[in-house]
Amino acid sequence: MTPEEAIEISDGRWRSAIEELIVPIISVIIAVFISGLIIWAVGYDPVAAIAALLKGAFGGGRQIGETLMRATPLMFTGLAVAYGFRAGLFNIGAEGQLFMGGLVAAWLGIALAGLPWIINIPLILIGGAAAGAAWAFIPALLKARVGAHEVITTMMFTYIARYFVSWLVTGPMKAEGQIPQTEALPPESVLPRIHETLPFLTSSRLHWGFVIAVILAVGLWLLLKYTTLGYEARAVGFNPWASETGGISVEATIVKSLCISGALAGLAGVTEVIAVHGRLFDQFSSGFGFTGIAVALLAKNNPLGVIAAAILFGALSAGSGTMQLEADVPAKLIFIIQALIIFFVAAEVFAKWIVRPFRKKVADSA
Amino acid sequence: MLSDIITPDLFASAIRMTTPIALAAIGGTICERSGIVNIALEGMMLFGAFMAVVGTTWFGGNPWMGVIVAVIAGGLLALIHAFASITLRSDQVVSGTAINILALGLTGFFMEIIFGRPGSTDAVARLQPVFSISGPTEGLLGTVWTWLDTVIFSYTPIVYMAIIIAIVGQWAMYHTRWGLRLRALGEHPLAVDTVGINVARGRYSAVIISGFLGGLAGANLTLEQVGTFTENMTNGRGFIALAANIFGRWTPAGSYLASLLFGFADALQVKMQLFRDVVAIPYQFFLMLPYVLTVIVLAGVMGRAVAPAAIGKPYNKE
Repeated sequence: MTPEEAIEISDGRWRSAIEELIVPIISVIIAVFISGLIIWAVGYDPVAAIAALLKGAFGGGRQIGETLMRATPLMFTGLAVAYGFRAGLFNIGAEGQLFMGGLVAAWLGIALAGLPWIINIPLILIGGAAAGAAWAFIPALLKARVGAHEVITTMMFTYIARYFVSWLVTGPMKAEGQIPQTEALPPESVLPRIHETLPFLTSSRLHWGFVIAVILAVGLWLLLKYTTLGYEARAVGFNPWASETGGISVEATIVKSLCISGALAGLAGVTEVIAVHGRLFDQFSSGFGFTGIAVALLAKNNPLGVIAAAILFGALSAGSGTMQLEADVPAKLIFIIQALIIFFVAAEVFAKWIVRPFRKKVADSA
Repeated sequence: MLSDIITPDLFASAIRMTTPIALAAIGGTICERSGIVNIALEGMMLFGAFMAVVGTTWFGGNPWMGVIVAVIAGGLLALIHAFASITLRSDQVVSGTAINILALGLTGFFMEIIFGRPGSTDAVARLQPVFSISGPTEGLLGTVWTWLDTVIFSYTPIVYMAIIIAIVGQWAMYHTRWGLRLRALGEHPLAVDTVGINVARGRYSAVIISGFLGGLAGANLTLEQVGTFTENMTNGRGFIALAANIFGRWTPAGSYLASLLFGFADALQVKMQLFRDVVAIPYQFFLMLPYVLTVIVLAGVMGRAVAPAAIGKPYNKE
């Protein structure tokens, strides 16, 4: 390494950018390594398991499409949790807001039958986001007014939302037949799949919601960086007392931020209903709201990082089925990987401790 | 109809359903009094519930061994939480979330490894009621005895343990050196440190005790209430317990009494489901009851309940 290069690396801005990336990357590597040890300890072949996982996630156009399809709701919930964290709020109940978003999407999707899709799709997206925001509103108000912790209240609202949806799909909204589900949405309320336009993705379920999620991530990044709304959220998250003194209404910012977070989570439910399943039933989310927490933490609450983190968790989810089929390792392993990633990202000293000797070498060689 | 609902069995069922919430709530109290937030009680309870079944199976169907394994299992998860939040000074809520997801993953993963299928484990032997006393059955005396026997003498061991733990815990928190130190740790750790007491060690022991109690709560669910483990069977009880702990003003006895409210709501909703046809309310609305109640209680009590001053803040010795 030339001295010029060393100077460039030690330049503060570059170093912090590298450090921002290094902690998540090393955290993922340690988590996968420990999971490999667990697989080995219970008597399976970790190399075969990870190979099967990668094959299931990236083995071809269809697999890549499935990975990105599974990343889509995680992008929405990841953005939801990340936005909350930026404002100092832990929206652990994104799952509940997702359920309400999905519910309103199914209701609007059926109610708007017959209208052109150009009217239906935007209305459904707005309606689902509004439902998510509304479901976050009471916890937000309780947090702002009396200080009731949002971790408990949003979690309770998640259970309430699940039972509410369970009632609707077994009762008032149930379609004819034995299965508790709504009737299928009419084609004008369905968000199409991308492989109809890009045949490379051979019949994967990837839909245009993915593109909406990416655009939203970029938009949210700009919002946090350049708008008053985003500035206030970050200020309150960083130091509520100083913000209040500086003329920001902490109460209003808490309510706004948690509702925006809820709206984002609601969109995850919308796209699952109008693009993936085409109807609502009570098991339509496999815990996307909770995985969104891991996504946000891994992304260090950066909306652009959420895109990458969601794709990683989407890949784990898409590949876990192949891992179970081909290497016999229970797919539930991905929850263990998820938990380990959260631990190592949260305890960043681990990752920093691992890179320290390398950084010292760089400094020495300069 | 009212006389069909208000029966001795309703109250006994309320006490039984209070037990896991109360144990976790007392665990939360001890942990938070030391200054460490513990939203991982849900995961500790879930892991304890699973390990109780595994332990019972391992040791030839002896549920008492299951209880011991569950308590240790809860303590082990708590040790991870303690290491992350005290030694590594990670965000305590984030670490707690990781524990909850870890418990979900470990129980799901090892259920398939050990029992060969997802969903639920094999059924195991349950803990039996402690007392079996026969009394009068006829007349007024018989009615009185039925109430007494059902409401006081009908329970399994962990139900009584929870009551004893609440009483002893309350006494210890206000009348022993341990209790004084515990409270000081959460209010003013620097003062504790100044008089030469190891803050980290004190907090570690509090977090681990909360894990023991979370594990015991899980053992109650599988070995006394259900008899098998099913995926995610704790169903938010760990979070309800946190609300009970706040409602009980961070005291063991208060936590138990607050948990009674949720236990009673739970018992009532189960009972009401039997009258589904009479009252014509869908059962899902009964299932919502404990969660709605939690939000209402939290909304009502917050602002008046004062949390330990140093809660959630890592202690930095330098």
